[in-house]
Amino acid sequence: MATDNYKEISNLFFDILQDNLNEASFAWLQHAGKASELTKLGQSFVLLPRKTGKLIIKISSNQLKTLEKLELTTIKEWTVDRLARVWLLHSQSYQPAGKAKAVIENLFLSAEVNEAVALYLAIPFLSEPESWINQCTEGIRSNIGVVLEAIMENNPYPSKYLSEAAWNQLVLKAFFTEKNINNIIGLAERANASLALTLSDYARERYAAGRKVNPALWQLTAPFLDEKIFEAMKIGLQKQDTADKMAITEAIKSSDYKPAKRYMEDLAFSESSK
Amino acid sequence: MCCSSSIARDKATMGEPEAFDISVVKGMKFFDPHVHMTSRTTDDYQAMADAGVVALVEPAFWLGQPRTGIDSFRDYYSSLVGWERFRSSQFGIKHYCTIGLNSREANNERLAEQVMEILPLFIYKEGVVGIGEIGFDDQTAAEEKYYRLQLELAKESGLPVQVHTPHRDKKKGTQRSMDIALEHGLSPEQIIIDHNNEETVKEVLERGFYAAFTIYPFTKMGNERMVDIVKQYGSSKIMVNSAADWGISDPLAVPKTAALMKLKGISNEDIELVTYRNAINAFAQSGQIDEADFAGSVSIDQSGKFEGNTILRGGQQPRTDKSSIIIS
Repeated sequence: MATDNYKEISNLFFDILQDNLNEASFAWLQHAGKASELTKLGQSFVLLPRKTGKLIIKISSNQLKTLEKLELTTIKEWTVDRLARVWLLHSQSYQPAGKAKAVIENLFLSAEVNEAVALYLAIPFLSEPESWINQCTEGIRSNIGVVLEAIMENNPYPSKYLSEAAWNQLVLKAFFTEKNINNIIGLAERANASLALTLSDYARERYAAGRKVNPALWQLTAPFLDEKIFEAMKIGLQKQDTADKMAITEAIKSSDYKPAKRYMEDLAFSESSK
Repeated sequence: MCCSSSIARDKATMGEPEAFDISVVKGMKFFDPHVHMTSRTTDDYQAMADAGVVALVEPAFWLGQPRTGIDSFRDYYSSLVGWERFRSSQFGIKHYCTIGLNSREANNERLAEQVMEILPLFIYKEGVVGIGEIGFDDQTAAEEKYYRLQLELAKESGLPVQVHTPHRDKKKGTQRSMDIALEHGLSPEQIIIDHNNEETVKEVLERGFYAAFTIYPFTKMGNERMVDIVKQYGSSKIMVNSAADWGISDPLAVPKTAALMKLKGISNEDIELVTYRNAINAFAQSGQIDEADFAGSVSIDQSGKFEGNTILRGGQQPRTDKSSIIIS
């Protein structure tokens, strides 16, 4: 993860930026990242896209290999201003005096949409990443789609640092706001009983309102299947949504909850004897 | 900014309403260069999008009552570049803003000093297309002081300025605003003088400034008068806006005025200039407007596409049928 590979990440970002910026804007960025420029970090961060432009970065095959090794492949979809902002915060946060934190806190307070996205994408790469737990938790309360995506999707920070309550809130809200669940890093590793119950309650609410349920939800409940969760599943099994039914069936198969398994066997028997 | 008109205005004096027939301007695109969306509902956004408004500028202004602390200003400015921008994007309308300390609140000098300190953090943000709306209200010494300080900020950043002109003693206030701007070495092309009327327009145009007209019921211009102004002064450097806010105002003022101009025989080219192109030219001097972001052109820049996709994935605002009794 980020902080363990400080040098490698730093060099890689720097290398990609050099390939994607013209000489003048690269020189500007390099200068803005110097220790002497820490006092101007706020302004540099804000006006950065005016210097770098906003094209999507191009990556060489070697750079891609390094990204894959570091499990940071999705960075290849970033725009150059986004990568430059993350690199700038990353570099300045490692300056010895440690003064960057107050500046970055202020940037969160006044961030426009793209800035907020860059800030949340940057936190896994800052020195002392654990000091941004509250900020990340607060970010989950955002209602701005792209900001939520920056926190929830392909971001290694939440699964590594968030408390269970905050993590559960993130996952529930990701379902709620129809994010791409497959892009949440650490989803299986951080599955827990409390989350499983919350998700099954959420599914029941959706059923009651006549709405569909994202089938990806059920796999997260499988290891914690109990009577209550199974009640929710039974509602789903009586509905007409095939994908949902298949997901419930899969979840029950992979669980150890006997009553559910028996229920499925009975169901299969009565279907076949019709 | 408005106003103290009463809802109890005598309806009898208004005559039979003439229906707004959007079909005469169907397919035209509009740019509303002055509208306070934080005060408006999602119904307004939907109606604007349906009427052809593709982009807008939201100037920072007074909220109807004075703010008492710096954090209220900071939160307001960040909402203009954050939440409001996002809300607008959900209706496919590109949202820009101008950032500044309005004239009324410039009179609270203790607070004004603090606002001046945080302005540099906001004016360089993406999509900030100018300093505004600033200028005179009561024409006090404090108003002049902060007007001048913000003109210096505009000069330093190379941003256009959106100048609010006063309701009272308008003609003198407008002249004074222009004199001071030139005194600070700004070019007239960089300045949009707002809320013009028949009395101010001639001098504003002659001196080379942009002249904006606010179509706002009761207290500012009506759009029939606006049609006459375009007939008399032409379409160069003139733009119309709604300045719709928390007062009785109309977020469809720009498309409605375009429709009226069309019905009164003004050419499509002139209509396009005063309801779209001139405003873009004026505010694009900030370097922050890329027409491809909202003009439906195929040459959308990559970042725009990137954002567009993510917002769509996040769910473009679904349409509701207002005529139905069922809410589901």
